[in-house]
Amino acid sequence: MKGNLKNNKKNGNIYIPLNGRIEEIIQLTSDVRLFKAKTEIPIDYKPGQFFMISVWGSGEIPISVTSLPEKNGMPELCIRKTGVVTTAIHSLQTGQFVGLRGPYGNGFPMDISKGRDVVIVAGGIGIAPLRPLIQQFIKKPNETGKVTLLYGSRTPDEIIFRDEVEDWKKSGITVVLTVDKGNDNWNGNIGLVTGFWPEVRTNFKNAVAYICGPEVMIKAAMRDLFFLGMPDDRIITTLESHMKCGVGKCGHCYAGPKYICTDGPVFSYKEIKEQSILK
Amino acid sequence: MNKILTVCPYCGCGCGLYLHVENGQIVGVSPSRSHPVNMGSLCVKGWNAHEFIAHPDRLKYPLIRKNRRGSPENRRFSGVSWDEALNLVAAILDEIKKKHGPDSIGILSSAKCTNEENYLMMKFARAVLGTNNIDHCARLCHSSTVGGLAAAFGSGAMTNSISEIADAKVLFVIGSNTTEQHPMIGMHMLEAVDRGATLIVADPRRTKIAEFAHIHLRQKSGTDVALLMGIMNAIVNEGLVDVDFVRRRTENFDTFEETLRRYSPDIVEGITGVKAGDIRRVARIYAMEKRSMLFYAMGITQHITGVDNVRACANLVMLTGHIGLPMSGLNPLRGQNNVQGACDMGGLPNVYSGYQTVTDPGARKKFEMAWRRRLPEKPGLTLMEMMDRAYEGKLKAMYIMGENPLISDPDLTHVREALERLEFLVVQDIFPNETSEYADVILPASSYAEKDGTFTNTERRVQLLGKAIEPVGESRPDWEIISDLSSRMGYTMNYRGTYEIMEEIALLTPSYGGILHHRLQEGFGLQWPCHDINHSGTQYLHRKKFARGLGTFITVDFVPPDEPPDDEYPFLLTTGRVYFRYHTGTMCGRTAVLEREEPESFVEINPDDAERLGIRNRSMVKVSSRRGAIELKAYVTNRTPLGIVFIPFHFRDAAANILTNPATDPSAKIPEYKVCAVKVEPLVRPQKVKRVPSVDLEALRIT
Amino acid sequence: MKGEFILDRNHLSYWLRQMRKSRELIGPLMDGGKDIVFKSVDKIHELVLDCPASLPSPKEFLFPQYESMLRFTPLHLPLTKGGQGGVSLSEKAIEDLSDKTKRVIFGVRSCDISALSLMDKFYIEGHKDPYYARRRENTLFISIVCNNPDPTCFCIGLGTGPYLEKGFDIQMTDLGDRYFVQIGSHEGAKTVKAMSFLFRRPQKTDYEDQYEVFLSSKARFHKRINLEGIRQMILEEKVKDDFWQWVAGRCFECGGCVYDCPLCTCFTVTDRTYSEGIERVRLWDTCMFKGFTRMAGGVLPNEKMVKRTKRWYYHKLIYYPESLGGFGCVGCGRCTITCPGKIDMASIAARLKGLVLNEEEE
Ligand SMILES: Cc1cc2nc3c(=O)[nH]c(=O)nc-3n(C[C@H](O)[C@H](O)[C@H](O)COP(=O)(O)OP(=O)(O)OC[C@H]3O[C@@H](n4cnc5c(N)ncnc54)[C@H](O)[C@@H]3O)c2cc1C
Ligand code: SF4
Ligand code: SF4
Ligand code: SF4
Ligand code: FES
Repeated sequence: MKGNLKNNKKNGNIYIPLNGRIEEIIQLTSDVRLFKAKTEIPIDYKPGQFFMISVWGSGEIPISVTSLPEKNGMPELCIRKTGVVTTAIHSLQTGQFVGLRGPYGNGFPMDISKGRDVVIVAGGIGIAPLRPLIQQFIKKPNETGKVTLLYGSRTPDEIIFRDEVEDWKKSGITVVLTVDKGNDNWNGNIGLVTGFWPEVRTNFKNAVAYICGPEVMIKAAMRDLFFLGMPDDRIITTLESHMKCGVGKCGHCYAGPKYICTDGPVFSYKEIKEQSILK
Repeated sequence: MNKILTVCPYCGCGCGLYLHVENGQIVGVSPSRSHPVNMGSLCVKGWNAHEFIAHPDRLKYPLIRKNRRGSPENRRFSGVSWDEALNLVAAILDEIKKKHGPDSIGILSSAKCTNEENYLMMKFARAVLGTNNIDHCARLCHSSTVGGLAAAFGSGAMTNSISEIADAKVLFVIGSNTTEQHPMIGMHMLEAVDRGATLIVADPRRTKIAEFAHIHLRQKSGTDVALLMGIMNAIVNEGLVDVDFVRRRTENFDTFEETLRRYSPDIVEGITGVKAGDIRRVARIYAMEKRSMLFYAMGITQHITGVDNVRACANLVMLTGHIGLPMSGLNPLRGQNNVQGACDMGGLPNVYSGYQTVTDPGARKKFEMAWRRRLPEKPGLTLMEMMDRAYEGKLKAMYIMGENPLISDPDLTHVREALERLEFLVVQDIFPNETSEYADVILPASSYAEKDGTFTNTERRVQLLGKAIEPVGESRPDWEIISDLSSRMGYTMNYRGTYEIMEEIALLTPSYGGILHHRLQEGFGLQWPCHDINHSGTQYLHRKKFARGLGTFITVDFVPPDEPPDDEYPFLLTTGRVYFRYHTGTMCGRTAVLEREEPESFVEINPDDAERLGIRNRSMVKVSSRRGAIELKAYVTNRTPLGIVFIPFHFRDAAANILTNPATDPSAKIPEYKVCAVKVEPLVRPQKVKRVPSVDLEALRIT
Repeated sequence: MKGEFILDRNHLSYWLRQMRKSRELIGPLMDGGKDIVFKSVDKIHELVLDCPASLPSPKEFLFPQYESMLRFTPLHLPLTKGGQGGVSLSEKAIEDLSDKTKRVIFGVRSCDISALSLMDKFYIEGHKDPYYARRRENTLFISIVCNNPDPTCFCIGLGTGPYLEKGFDIQMTDLGDRYFVQIGSHEGAKTVKAMSFLFRRPQKTDYEDQYEVFLSSKARFHKRINLEGIRQMILEEKVKDDFWQWVAGRCFECGGCVYDCPLCTCFTVTDRTYSEGIERVRLWDTCMFKGFTRMAGGVLPNEKMVKRTKRWYYHKLIYYPESLGGFGCVGCGRCTITCPGKIDMASIAARLKGLVLNEEEE
């Protein structure tokens, strides 16, 4: 029943987007909104994949799926307003449409987490692609060991999915929140996520990590985890880059010999080092 | 697919390129391989010169509005027919002329339009309206050249040709960021360097061309006269003067020499900050090699001492006799694709085409006879004077063709006020721009791809445009609009095509005497002076004798910039361009790749200054001068020396010209874009991220 | 489908004229005695066959510099810039603008034909690019064995010219009074078959003459460059960063090397809002520009020029062979012609060779 999105089979044009009707918009923080978009055909996708989302007249951008696929075909997209296209998306109301192409990219490898402890490291909007992973781990708690989320934001007000985080805690996920700069209502951690490894009480050698956030954070976290004994092929991250096509043609997303859109966006630290992807 | 040879619409290099046409649409650009300037290359602007042509923002039909000060309803532009628009313009211009006299109207013609169009525009101003109030943006870049060199040599243009550069032995580049602003000339310079030439660059900033230089002099902004005088002083003292040349071909050396004595390299070091030893070294290198070419651009002209700077350059080449030969001369690099042509065509308040002055009764008589109208005798207003008069309410109407003074002019607040106070403003352009927001009538013009005519590049090469497609929408070529309007004002201009206009130009303009369209079709144009139909153009100027006979040494003296830095405004601001942008961005701002490269304005600041002020790379800062303030991103770089900041002038947001000083050169009336005093403040204090004590990873690892 | 034929010189224009009835005929023409350009052929007798290389490469006919991809027409409401209003959409609102013109490109060089096989792999394998694919299906290439290579050409060291063994639709060798015609594809065969009365089977002397042209053509090359050697040098890390720094310092950021190269594929996409509808357009783009990889918030991962120049060479010499099985360079020499900084493939290769030789001497 779930159709894999090879949209518009009729003329085989991969650049024609499907119409996604926006069914619901949730304001998560001052500049982040969650959009639920319904497509004509339900779409199947995996955590870690992304869609090319377009607003006609403004352009097309890559956005990760931030939910697990569901029968009603409503992928959720968590979008931060930063520029031309994201602003255009934020100006849309429910009942209006976005263009949707995809899903593209490889997605997170799930089998390597079977039976192991999981460390999830998120920075800012980097939580978006990691959320479906967390949902998956909650759904199937027996498949993994202990799951820890280390999540850093700039300020307490910028913590995305703050309410959900409480639910995640209740479902057995260990959550460490931290902010760069606190405020009066904040009595939690202050500092960069990479300062909180001691809170992750896990045998790093046997665990697996999923990381997403700003590039500096990704680099630091990967290096630290490797140093802490985690094998580099189990340190997994998803990378961001400029993208125009999502299908390996436009060239914008190059990283060493790889195209992030088709060979990634998910890479292991091992690949990143061997292929000199992040420099 | 058809391919049509034409000329790049961006800079004064005048590269030859092909426009690719398919189904009436321009789908690409490629360089001409055998063109003497670009030889198979193009810069990024040229390579993308196709994209803006069909941009949706193009003006497609005439627009008018009832009252720009009225209710929002009245203020809105509405599309009208050409008849309605032109009749309206004709009627109102007529009325204003009758009521306030012809000199209450000002015309801006355009360095982006063809020679034919500029010629018609000046004919329109002088014969139809009866005013000499015509000027264009050359005022803002090279009027000092036109004035300065005309006085010294009798002709203000590049004396050599671009194709000579590669064979020169010494290249002395002052105040020009050649590789970025005249990329294809930069290419020839690099070729010369590869072949062993010595490259000397004088520029306060470490520009790209400076990185190729063997010697880079970083004089303080605004001290060019002193620097050049120092070099000349050294030349005289070391006995490197070409005495024979000075004696036979120049005059007035002795008076000049008296002043020169005061500028010993040591004194000049104190003024410019350039080591006396370097000054002597440059003097020797430049003077001792015959194949020495001197280049300059806006870094020389845009000062209150712009004309003096130019004169100093002229004196230097005369002193050494480095002029009037191939690979030896003085070369002002003109910015816009047709700024040379717009000047040649008399888009200036004091001259007709070919620099024949309006005050010369003989010249005036000739034009009066040809145009069958009495012509005004007094030189007209310059661009800035027009703005001032408009501000005072004395200038009532303006007709602006292909220019955007609301970004490019200094002291924008003043210009905005001035335009607002006009009774009537007509803007004729291919895109709506900042200036057209103040217009009463907007006339849609055709782009370079939709018309024919000629451009004159910086080496005086008159080249033919190729019409590639039909005009977009209802737009019309500027020359058609002008002649139609003129007919409606009772002066028939009846040209079958631009070639007929060119014939008239040739008839009335000695230096264009032999330049006719059919001759331009072969090869890649002709370089003026080209006196008659058998003349094959002139590769380099002032051979055997100067255009005015003897070259004149004009005495110059160092005058400090109008607004030196002080305690309140401690930085020197200099403005300029960036490679991916062009002028006010009406064309390249509508080109995806160019727009993406430099989407926003920035200010360059030296790392030490930045550190002192607590400014981080890419953080927001506020730059203010006595005239206004702008907020923009800081770009911390060594390219800019201590005490100087640089801002590109292209951007509408954070327009640098809100800050610049409208003080002008006394004779050329060119504004001092290159120097004014500003202060810089960080907008956000760098916030300290509180870090937890770094984790001892080693300790963790053991667990 | 293979086949070898002889076409009398006098019959060439007749053949082309017949072909032109069903396809747009594109060929090399001398423009006003100035440059050779590939464009629609009006007067067939004006075709120039022993011509210097054209700029840009014939990839422009498969992957044009500016190509409209899709048009979106809103069904209600006027458009506002940057938004689509509350438009209700249906699939019909999106129109595929891909070009369906049938073309024959006559007089293409061997190097450019060699480039096509890699381009096909890149654009058609994996996710199929419909615009390229459709143009490719509709375009027939007739290539000419180069008998007059430019001084900038170096296909000879790469096996991508001056003549080809396979990969062409139709390859012609100029034997003076006649052409030796080789067929290399189904489409090519169809075209010849449709006019079979013009062609005859080659004789022994024809083969001999063809071979002689091959030989004399080879003898005319000024350059022979072994890119494999350069590739090894880079892989063995013999090329130091200060070399790349020097290269980057000379780059004018014009993009010409990429625009002209038959094997560069990058593009950008932009939307244009016309009153009749919104067009999604793609345009040539180049990795030589820092904004090419610009990210949200203005982060520029490749702000330093050296990263970009280096990447161009790595891509062509190291990554292309890994991913597509051949160098990203066929030795057409166009970047040599077009690069204002003289840091093109051939110059860099020569310089690297020189550097190594010097080092070995030391
Ligand atoms: C695989 C992937 C997944 C992503 N997932 C999310 C997500 O879930 N939520 C979210 O908020 N953001 C996500 N991003 C980032 C998001 O794509 C950018 O914020 C967005 O492209 C910015 O576009 P803009 O037009 O608003 O910004 P502008 O700065 O105005 O960008 C202009 C143009 O540049 C290009 N561009 C600029 N930055 C980027 C970028 N980072 N990536 C790709 N193209 C860019 C785009 O083509 C855009 O049209 C993701 C990026 C990638 C590569
Ligand atoms: S150098 Fe000037 S004339 Fe030449 S392509 Fe660039 S902008 Fe155009
Ligand atoms: S790299 Fe240069 S020589 Fe090689 S194929 Fe491309 S343009 Fe031709
Ligand atoms: S052609 Fe040369 S100068 Fe231009 S981008 Fe390429 S390498 Fe740089
Ligand atoms: S996004 Fe186009 S190649 Fe990766």
